[in-house]
Amino acid sequence: MPSSIDIAALLPFLLLVLGALVLMLSEVFLKSGGRGYQSGLTIAFAIAAAVAAPLAPQAILFGGQAVSDGFSAFVTVVVCVGLVLSALLGRGWLEVRNMERGEYYALALFGASGMVLLGMATDLLLAFIAIEVMSLAIYSLAAYPRRGQRAPEAAFKYFILGSFASAILLYGSALYYGATGSTLLSAMKGGGGALLAAGLGLILVGLAFKVAAVPFHAWTPDVYEGAPTPATAFMAAGVKAAAFAFLTRGVLAMVAGSPFAVGSQLGGILGLLAVLTMVVGNLFALPQRNVKRMLAYSSIAQAGYLLVGVIAASSREGRAQGLAAVLVYLAAYAVTVIGAFAVLAVLERREPNPDANAEGAWDISRFSGLASRRPWLAFAMAIFMLSLAGVPPTAGFVAKLSVFQSAAAAGAWGLAVVGVLTSILGVYYYLRVVVAMYMRPAEVEEPAAAPATVVLAIAVAAIVVVVVGFSPEPLAAWARAAVLGM
Amino acid sequence: MGTLLTVVLFLPLAGALVAAILPRGEGTQHKTWALCVSLVVFFASLGLWFGFDPSRGAPEFQFETNVPWIASLGIGFHVGLDGVALLLVMLTTALGPIVILSAWNAVQDRVKEFFIALLFLETAMIGTFAALDLVLFYVFYEAILIPMYLLIGVWGSANRVYATVKFFVYTFAASVLMLVAILYVWMNDGRSFDYVVARNALQVTPAMGALLFGAFALAFAVKVPMFPLHTWLPDAHTEAPTAGSVILAGVLLKMGTFGFFRYALPLFPEAALQYRGTIAAVATFGIAYGALMSMVQTDMKRLVAYSSVSHLGFVMLGMMAITAEGLTGSVYQMLNHGVSTGGLFLLVGMLYERRHTRLISDYGGLAKQVPWIATAFLVVTFSSIGLPGTNGFIGEFLILSGTWLSRLRGAGWYTAFGATGVVLGAVYMLVLVQKVFFGKITNPENLHLPDFSVREAFVITPVIVLIVVMGLAPQPFLAQAKPSVDRLMARMQVAEQRLRQADPGLRPLVGTEPAAIAFARPPAVPSPAPSAPPPGAAAPAPAHGSH
Repeated sequence: MPSSIDIAALLPFLLLVLGALVLMLSEVFLKSGGRGYQSGLTIAFAIAAAVAAPLAPQAILFGGQAVSDGFSAFVTVVVCVGLVLSALLGRGWLEVRNMERGEYYALALFGASGMVLLGMATDLLLAFIAIEVMSLAIYSLAAYPRRGQRAPEAAFKYFILGSFASAILLYGSALYYGATGSTLLSAMKGGGGALLAAGLGLILVGLAFKVAAVPFHAWTPDVYEGAPTPATAFMAAGVKAAAFAFLTRGVLAMVAGSPFAVGSQLGGILGLLAVLTMVVGNLFALPQRNVKRMLAYSSIAQAGYLLVGVIAASSREGRAQGLAAVLVYLAAYAVTVIGAFAVLAVLERREPNPDANAEGAWDISRFSGLASRRPWLAFAMAIFMLSLAGVPPTAGFVAKLSVFQSAAAAGAWGLAVVGVLTSILGVYYYLRVVVAMYMRPAEVEEPAAAPATVVLAIAVAAIVVVVVGFSPEPLAAWARAAVLGM
Repeated sequence: MGTLLTVVLFLPLAGALVAAILPRGEGTQHKTWALCVSLVVFFASLGLWFGFDPSRGAPEFQFETNVPWIASLGIGFHVGLDGVALLLVMLTTALGPIVILSAWNAVQDRVKEFFIALLFLETAMIGTFAALDLVLFYVFYEAILIPMYLLIGVWGSANRVYATVKFFVYTFAASVLMLVAILYVWMNDGRSFDYVVARNALQVTPAMGALLFGAFALAFAVKVPMFPLHTWLPDAHTEAPTAGSVILAGVLLKMGTFGFFRYALPLFPEAALQYRGTIAAVATFGIAYGALMSMVQTDMKRLVAYSSVSHLGFVMLGMMAITAEGLTGSVYQMLNHGVSTGGLFLLVGMLYERRHTRLISDYGGLAKQVPWIATAFLVVTFSSIGLPGTNGFIGEFLILSGTWLSRLRGAGWYTAFGATGVVLGAVYMLVLVQKVFFGKITNPENLHLPDFSVREAFVITPVIVLIVVMGLAPQPFLAQAKPSVDRLMARMQVAEQRLRQADPGLRPLVGTEPAAIAFARPPAVPSPAPSAPPPGAAAPAPAHGSH
């Protein structure tokens, strides 16, 4: 029987599941029209979960298969903030397209519950379940607009490749079980040899797919582009946060319990992944004229910087700083990228037939001259771009600084140098959006008025990015406190 | 005392925030507000000027504030001023109202954003000079890029997007390695980003010190800009609006030279002593190169931009001499360049507003039409070419004499080559004046040009006054800088001692040669008399007494 402590520790997760069920039922009892409250309900549940997370007691759950600690609480808050912002965005986006249904929010809440669970998981089996809960919801969200071909195509790609990755993860877990006799991450101490190494390798591949690390990134651009923009925003923020949380826990367990010299090999493998991800992500983002695809490649590149933080956390000297840096980075990235997708959602072209001229829907020319038509919208987008590029004074700079600082503490100078050098490429393609907005004459028709909820999402995200840029201490201190004892 | 600096630092930013809520349509309101804010900032900064104690026993950094900023990353909000930083802050705050006034009519489009960008820029510039925490410095140093990028890209001329992206990417690319170097310093000085701590506690191997020096030097060399990293400058200057050019020339370039003075040299003195010959050689080459490039320009702004490359070469040469004269001259020349080149850009901007062309060939014979502009232009030109009685003379004289007397290997050669820049400078500037202002009016469009308006007179008068005052009475300015220069000299001498311990046979590196030796150099070294500034050899330098 679960004790009351267990229930309290799982409360954020339970709230999200409850929210999902309520939202599904709401559709049954709904009279025609009047759907506006559904996004409100979603946001209320997400906020409740975000408030419950830091208050939840520290506990070991399910016989050691999950843990509720500061780290998981931080990840939960990031996921919930991501959910709130993308629900605000979704409300406006879906309403004008006459697509707003309770399923959308229910799926988002189910996805968030899977992410929260993944942030707590310390067991491969539980992690697999959490990943599937999360992924199935996200596959469906990607396929949500049924008209047209692009969204289903994206969802199908994501589904096939994602299932493949899940299978690899599962197979790796089976080998892991064979080597150690348990699926607990902490069981690594007991095993050894080629079987364990093979299992860990396959698990790493599965996770690298989820975080979109090169060379397991190929799905990202198509899926990000095809999925409805609010879903893409949630995917970029939430999936990344949850997958990185589990990856970090796994790497820590490998370093702590490896009977063979995983430490050095692991550092080498992850280092290679990080370098490839930073270089390829940034290089492929460079020629994109489609802003949505550019943001997809940029999310790959950002995964590379996060990997640098994970590598720093895998060393004894950089442990605390690396972990805190990963959390700060996840938080800063989540808010920034949702803001960027929200601006994109305002500008994207709305066609009766979604397949017509789909290429141009997010073309950079749609940003031309925005600064003179919508000064505040352009200003917000400029803030998001500068934050993604890591230019001070924005949250993105603080995030990059903490990651590189942790790399320095861990002595990973090569990664720090590659990181700063690749961020130069980033400056170029992010600035191109700013150039279009501020320095080019308008080319396309006046953008439609942004729905109030979307404006709210953009405003909140922009203010958070700037405030964290000027005064990062609360966030940094919280992240530092969250990783105490790991 | 510390509060005043913080107030001066954040006043422009607060002004920018207020301006953000003023209505967009009211352009005049924005202009007036920005002007008022910048004037208040200037008067507040006068408190810094008069409150600064340059005596020997006074603390090195004054008006200090040191509070944690990002405590969990170990980053502090530590600001304070030494004499050199004070001078540059004063230059920034003094140029502020001038620049805003100069843009009064030139900016018609998006007035609100323009003045917000200018105010934001002012905070970032003051912060760069005031910061005493390495990360805080980096933050301000990078934050400058954003408003400057917008100033050039939004309000610039035809080829502005290319110029501004080049500017941003060049400077950003060069400074990211400095961030890694800052992190390395942090790892090796007992985990502190504080500049004062780092300077005292930094322990690195000579090879690593050289790498770190390289990373800092690269970032600053692009900003200065030193040949061959200067190519962004002519584009940025040419395409920028007048206000942008003035700030770029007046303050931004000084961040590079200030960076050498404040960070690269004191943090890594051994590496600096090792590589100063190379830097001096590049600087000397830059002097000649910039001057020669200026001679063939057809575009006035491009000409002035290349002359900046030449002038900043002087600043770097004087700094690498590592003598009291050289360093003092270098600091003084930073100010001079800010005033005189800023003045040139202001005047070129005024001509541009009248004729909408920057091509020299479109002008000619203007002196009859606009005698006051011509007079002002001539005075600023004299300052730029270092005529005695103007500020430029004192700076160039100190730099050349400091280099000549220094223990830099081959100092005579550097001085001789550097001095050609003075001669060539006189050539290209006087040719420019002659082509633009004298001769017959060939283009009928030049016939009916108005002279200074009242506003423009207010813009240019402070520049002229500064040129004359700094030329005739440099002592108050030099006195403020003296403690910083002396401290840097002492630091370099300590570094020399350390090097000598490792290698007892080392020849002297820092300070001046005794005069007798300097004049008894082998005859291969050309005499300074013909190539130095004409009255240089004979004139008793007004500043010499200060040492």
